[in-house]
Amino acid sequence: MTWHTFFNLSTMEHRHLLAAYIVVWACQGGYFGWIAWKWHRITNSGPQK
Amino acid sequence: MNYLGHVFNHLRKDLRIEWRSRDSINGMLFFALLVVVVFGLAFDPTGFPTTTRQVSGAILWVALLFASITALNQSWTRELRNHVLEAQRMAPSPASALFLSKAIANMLFVLVVEAVIAPIFIVFFNLHPLGNVWLLALILPLGTWALVVNGTFFAALGLRARNRELLLPLLLIPVSLPALLAMVQATTGVINGDLDPIQINTWIKQLAGYDIIFTTVCILLFETILNAE
Amino acid sequence: MSRPSTLRTLAWPWLIGTLAVLVFAFRQAIFVVPADAAQGDVGRIFYYHVPSAMLSLVFPYINFLAGVAYLFWRRSDPLKALAADALAVAAAEVTIVYVTICLVTGMIWGRASWGIWWAWDPRLTAELLLWLLYAAYLAVRRFSASGQTPTIAAVLSVFAAIDVPINYMSIRWWRTQHPAPVFGGGPDAGMDPSMMPAFVWNIIGWTLWGAFILFFRYALEQRRQFVEEENALKAIEASLEIPQ
Repeated sequence: MTWHTFFNLSTMEHRHLLAAYIVVWACQGGYFGWIAWKWHRITNSGPQK
Repeated sequence: MNYLGHVFNHLRKDLRIEWRSRDSINGMLFFALLVVVVFGLAFDPTGFPTTTRQVSGAILWVALLFASITALNQSWTRELRNHVLEAQRMAPSPASALFLSKAIANMLFVLVVEAVIAPIFIVFFNLHPLGNVWLLALILPLGTWALVVNGTFFAALGLRARNRELLLPLLLIPVSLPALLAMVQATTGVINGDLDPIQINTWIKQLAGYDIIFTTVCILLFETILNAE
Repeated sequence: MSRPSTLRTLAWPWLIGTLAVLVFAFRQAIFVVPADAAQGDVGRIFYYHVPSAMLSLVFPYINFLAGVAYLFWRRSDPLKALAADALAVAAAEVTIVYVTICLVTGMIWGRASWGIWWAWDPRLTAELLLWLLYAAYLAVRRFSASGQTPTIAAVLSVFAAIDVPINYMSIRWWRTQHPAPVFGGGPDAGMDPSMMPAFVWNIIGWTLWGAFILFFRYALEQRRQFVEEENALKAIEASLEIPQ
């Protein structure tokens, strides 16, 4: 496979492959981002939080 | 006083309260009736007897499940009035006796509802059960106990939570899924008459096993959640 | 309060190492390894789906052990109990993330290869049940009164730990009586050795990521617990200053 075929959206198989990978990155990245955001809030506001 | 004496005393108290107001049983009866009527309206039972027989087991258990959920929350809220729950926690009787008596009381109420609903169900759906109907006398109590024992436990668990009414079905349905599978399959098997007796017996044994395991776990863990602070 | 310094020193190197492994694994899965003979390129979803599925069965046990540890240390060692509770909630959230990924990628893959989104076979139903149980666990944590949350959540972990195997066994028995299509025949069912690198690197990468995110969430929860205790202490001190 190449980058070109990876982003090829013509067949259902390719669309689903891309969608599956994006879902995984979105879920893991989203959860990581949420934790990082909460971490930032709690370290910067101290005991008031 | 011995353990069973405590259970019996709590049980008498619950039955007496319920007898005086009868709100729990009435609520359950009307709810179950409503579910049966709505499903009867959804498709034509007389026109499609085979389909009716195939789904009737599931409909019966759905009606009973939702009816008992409405009653289970209520069974503990009556302990919250007048600080009765604090008194229970301070009483020398073991906490699991309180739990067991509540579970038995709820079981009796749901059995009464079943006894009333089952004939109505048969009438509305024109059911002629094709299998051994006496097995239903075994399946219905076992299945009901599975729902009631876990339901009583989870109702107590959510007692001081916000959104208590949401919490009970949210917890009860996933945890009871194995039992629900067994009871629905066994009931449908009896009504359809197409399941091997060995298979129905295995479902019944699975249901009994589930009941034993979860009754034990609930009795052992009840004290922990009653004194959760 | 002493913050775990081993975790802090490990965090950044671990994260960088994990991302490196994940990028390498992605490259293996998409560009290096040959396409599956039967399924074509869509089979590459396998390299992300199966590691998530395997890991989604590990984190619930961490939650269960942490819950039991909480119940054990509840009266005797409150600090350890608090740490156990923090680990339990972190493990529960990571479980939900991995189970969601497993279910969604499985459905996407199933639709593309077999034409259906879902089937009620033992593995899928057990996975769905796992999702429901842990979603209920997180809901209970959110809704319960704050003093009781850890105890009630720990009790719930015990129920979940008992329920998942029972459910799997009962549905598997049911499905052997009424055979239905079985999906995804296991992680090494007929996998060509040429595909192993992608699979192995992805397992390693996602396990490292899972451990990283578990301990990140655990550290966050410990901070939150610390802040809560500080606030409670302030409230008590303030109430003591009120003249009687």
